[in-house]
Amino acid sequence: MTSNPVFEARGVEKIFPGVKALGGVSLSLLPGSIHALLGENGAGKSTLIKVITGVHRPTSGEILLDGNRVHFANTREALAAGIGVVHQERNLIPRFSVAENIHLEQLVGRPLRPIDYAELNRQARQWLDEIELDVDPTRPVSELSVAQTQLVEIAKALSLRSRVLLLDEPTASLTPSESQTLFSILRRLRDSGVSLVFVSHKLEEVLEICDRVTVLRDGRNACESQSMQGMNRQDLVRFMIGRNEQAGGWRKRDVTARPVSMALQDVATAAGHRNISFSVRQGEILGLYGLVGAGRTELAKAIMGRIRVTGGQVLIDGQAARINSVADAIHRYGLGYVSEDRKSDGLVLSHSVLANAGIVVWRKLAGRFGRLSDAAVRKAVLPFLEQLEVKTPSLAQVVANLSGGNQQKISVAKWLAAGVKILIIDEPSVGIDIKTKAYLHQLIRELADRGTAVVLITSDMPEMISLADRIAVLDNYLIQGEVENDGVYDRMSQAIMNLIHHEAGHAAVPA
Amino acid sequence: MPLSYDTSSAAALPAATSALRSGLPRSRIFISNEFGLILLIVIFALVFGTMTHGFTSHFNLFTLGRNTAVNIMIGLSMMTVIVTGGLNLAVGAIGVCAAMLCGYALQVLHLPWPIALLLALALGAALGAVNGFAVVRTGLHSFIITLATMSIFYGVMIFLTRAEAYRNIPFGFVHFGSMKVLGDVSPLLLLALAVALALAALYRGSVLGREMLATGARREAAELSGIRTGRIITLCHMLSGALATVAALMLVARNGAAIPSMAGQLGQDWLLPAFLAPVLGGAVLNGGKAPVFGTCLGAALVSMLTSGLLLMQLGAFWVQTFLGLLLLLAMFLDKARRSYLAYRNLA
Amino acid sequence: MSKQSLLRLAQADWFGPLVVTLAAIAIIRGFSPDFLSPYNIQTLLIALAINALIAFSQMIIIAIGQMNLSVGAIGGLAAIAFAGMMQVWHLPVALAAILSLLIGIFCGALNGALISATGISAFVITLATLAIYKGINLGITQAQPFYGIAASVKHFGNAALFGLIPMLAVPTAIIAVALWFLLTRLPIGRFILAVGGNEHAASLSGISVRSVVILAHAISGFLAACAGMLLVARLQLGQPSIGDDWLILSFAAPVIGGAVLSGGHVSVVTTLLGVAMVALITQALVVFSIDPFLVQVVLGLLILAAVGINRLRETHLIARRA
Repeated sequence: MTSNPVFEARGVEKIFPGVKALGGVSLSLLPGSIHALLGENGAGKSTLIKVITGVHRPTSGEILLDGNRVHFANTREALAAGIGVVHQERNLIPRFSVAENIHLEQLVGRPLRPIDYAELNRQARQWLDEIELDVDPTRPVSELSVAQTQLVEIAKALSLRSRVLLLDEPTASLTPSESQTLFSILRRLRDSGVSLVFVSHKLEEVLEICDRVTVLRDGRNACESQSMQGMNRQDLVRFMIGRNEQAGGWRKRDVTARPVSMALQDVATAAGHRNISFSVRQGEILGLYGLVGAGRTELAKAIMGRIRVTGGQVLIDGQAARINSVADAIHRYGLGYVSEDRKSDGLVLSHSVLANAGIVVWRKLAGRFGRLSDAAVRKAVLPFLEQLEVKTPSLAQVVANLSGGNQQKISVAKWLAAGVKILIIDEPSVGIDIKTKAYLHQLIRELADRGTAVVLITSDMPEMISLADRIAVLDNYLIQGEVENDGVYDRMSQAIMNLIHHEAGHAAVPA
Repeated sequence: MPLSYDTSSAAALPAATSALRSGLPRSRIFISNEFGLILLIVIFALVFGTMTHGFTSHFNLFTLGRNTAVNIMIGLSMMTVIVTGGLNLAVGAIGVCAAMLCGYALQVLHLPWPIALLLALALGAALGAVNGFAVVRTGLHSFIITLATMSIFYGVMIFLTRAEAYRNIPFGFVHFGSMKVLGDVSPLLLLALAVALALAALYRGSVLGREMLATGARREAAELSGIRTGRIITLCHMLSGALATVAALMLVARNGAAIPSMAGQLGQDWLLPAFLAPVLGGAVLNGGKAPVFGTCLGAALVSMLTSGLLLMQLGAFWVQTFLGLLLLLAMFLDKARRSYLAYRNLA
Repeated sequence: MSKQSLLRLAQADWFGPLVVTLAAIAIIRGFSPDFLSPYNIQTLLIALAINALIAFSQMIIIAIGQMNLSVGAIGGLAAIAFAGMMQVWHLPVALAAILSLLIGIFCGALNGALISATGISAFVITLATLAIYKGINLGITQAQPFYGIAASVKHFGNAALFGLIPMLAVPTAIIAVALWFLLTRLPIGRFILAVGGNEHAASLSGISVRSVVILAHAISGFLAACAGMLLVARLQLGQPSIGDDWLILSFAAPVIGGAVLSGGHVSVVTTLLGVAMVALITQALVVFSIDPFLVQVVLGLLILAAVGINRLRETHLIARRA
């Protein structure tokens, strides 16, 4: 391409008290291009986006727009300069109309002039047409679907005449066909000269629509604004994690001789699952693969008694289980659940390591009149915290002050201390470093070897293939099928994608 | 706060493991709320003792102790709900309702006073249970629920009593209000301290108390750890109702009568002391912390300031303004302390 | 009218409260023929005029997802300031009125400034300022009323337009229209709702959340002061206890009108209907000679019923979308 970059970041550093989030990152965006921004969790993507959009000011380094140095004091200045962003979380006012949401920024400049809603709707119609979104501009956005609100945000960014548009995980909660609609709109915007930045974890999508790529690793460029020409998935992964992606460590474990620990038969739930059937044996790792929004976490919570089971039955050790509350699941049936959302569902962040690790065993340890001593709890949980090598200044340390990896170890340790027989592990490696991730994988295998039935939920394909004995594929709140895992990445990922795309009627995207 | 990653190498491991064994760290006592409160209490005691006549008189110390007892109970009553991240605007209304039932049982039914007390406590806990049940069932914030129930409880009480006081309280009961033990100490103060000790034991050393704290700090995490959080929240509200009843019964003993207006219109007059004590004591309005002794110290400070300001001829009407300013000041200091701690943790 | 537009009408948030209000009027009228006598209508309108301002004062704070416990304290302070300035300083009515309104605005803005500067919850801040404002009120008055109200104010409190509409209702009507215009047509009013609806999104759109919060609280203080001054005109004296019983009422009307306590959704029209319902029910208790002490109970039950219904409607809406 011959055109000059519309936006450049050169050697951007961002230091927070005690943490260097970005250590000299560069990026240049061309007009009429879709630029992928990749990196593992914590690699610095979100910090870079915040620097580009004026939320944070860089500690050093420069930002150039059309070759001129600029400083953004706040998001408004970045917006005014033509840098729009569609954040991961929705940033619309739910009860306001589509038109008013699109024009909210413009209203800020004229706070006392009465709003002409007819005119507002007319202008909004124009921007909605631009992206071929057929919704009534007078409708409140709270009535729109997730995909529609996302598109409204894009229309809003366009109405601000954004020349650079950042999309942070735009497909995270979209169905495959909605994603395809989004992609065709993005391609059209690209052709009209907009410079798009596409942040995603889904490498298939990146390979599908991006033409250039920047990868961050540990707050630095692993690759800077390279052409995607001739790049494949393995290249991207190598940039992201610094080595070849491999479904490493898989080994065959034969558990067919062992008794079935938990079985679901035609289970339906209040969350919308139907006909869910699968079983897991003692010592087996059953993978439950599904994309975000497939109903994975909801299924786990239904098994745990948090969401009502409306049909079918759950068998534990061959007996029909009556689980009316999470307390039943834990104390009567020996179930445990490591939550995907550590910060809100998994841990009590404002409480100590000891309180978090012991919370499940309190009832067991209680003496007469419910008496409970710290010493008893410490005795019960310390072996597990030590076994998992939890690094903390003390047991009284508040969990919020620990690293993501150590937090995750604690949320696993509490179930080990409870001695669960069946453990559901939901996205074990979200927000933790690679070393801890490898360690956790080892731990999950050891747990299974000692006879625990493990249900592993993850959307991280390599993780799934390196751990699971068998993989059930969940999509749209239905089990789409099961595959026996043989640890061969290409074959397995192909088989899983086939099962997912089966219903949507797509051909599988080659990996 | 940015996520900081674990950069410690394998060599740091043994040290880390030994830290696990070493137990609790040195407490940062000098920036704790309790320390600050004790300091303030000592300073104001000196100021009032030297600047006013009669602050250290036997009579004043006795009434100060008695008022402190009531304020401690009111504060603890609010604290038990603040623990859940909620609040209870109906503390005053519940207290008055229970006190009036006690008066009715004594004057009209001629029941022995211990039975009347038990009836009142049961009513207080039951009204608390109504609050808790409504909060858990509707999933609405306790603010609006208890705002409504405070109006309902108080209205029903006024309707039933025709706003008349019960003044025929047996001497055996009223005697507690005027008795002195161990010199100038009111038995009510000892009772309040005993209740506080029991609460401290509940939160520190019992499963139920810990489940209350965990539920308050992060309800969903507690629920997914097998705690029946709905039941726990209802229990917290029942405890609050019972404690509010104790406070009201103390007032009955002190006044020698159960008076419908003893907590003001709708029981609103209790709200300020009810929040002052726990907030001064270091409670977090988001829940998950139960500073029992801080609340007692906070109540003591409030009672002392009230008494001292009155003795300084400031005029009863201005005291309210000062207590309001005190609440603001306490919030600001707490905020500053927290940001200081956060800063130190980062550095 | 087509079936669809009828359906749309039925879904409008003011439709339910309106039907209930009209039904209540019809029922009470059925039992008590002189319920709609000119005298009764006047009494009803006066209650409406003052209670509506109290309700608006809370409504504007509910709009930003906060609460204001000091509504009554501000109203009371402005009321005794108004009466006191006339009695003690002999200020002209207009000047006293303006100064009292400024006091209300200042008290409200101070609430807003403290809340947005410290990030401490509105509940605690306004509980503290409630004590402060009320303490100042009592400290100044020593709990004694001011009787020296100007004759023109007394006259205003008693006069009626066309012998039917009390003068007291005129300022309220003007304010209601102005508030409606502010919240539905003026960008600045939309910002108040935007901050309540999604504070993060509002600030990303360039709205200064801090100034919007202060503005909302200042408006709240202004409205509370208006209500307090109308009460002075109505009672013909500056009673220090003005505002003591506003708390429940101020929440009841907006909540009955369907306001969402988490913010972003309030309506002047439905709040007015909420005020009307409260007034009608109070009136009904009199008509059916039910104990007036039970008004408190009914108010409490109404709040519970209203928040319960709002809650159900919300979950229903979510379920329908899914």
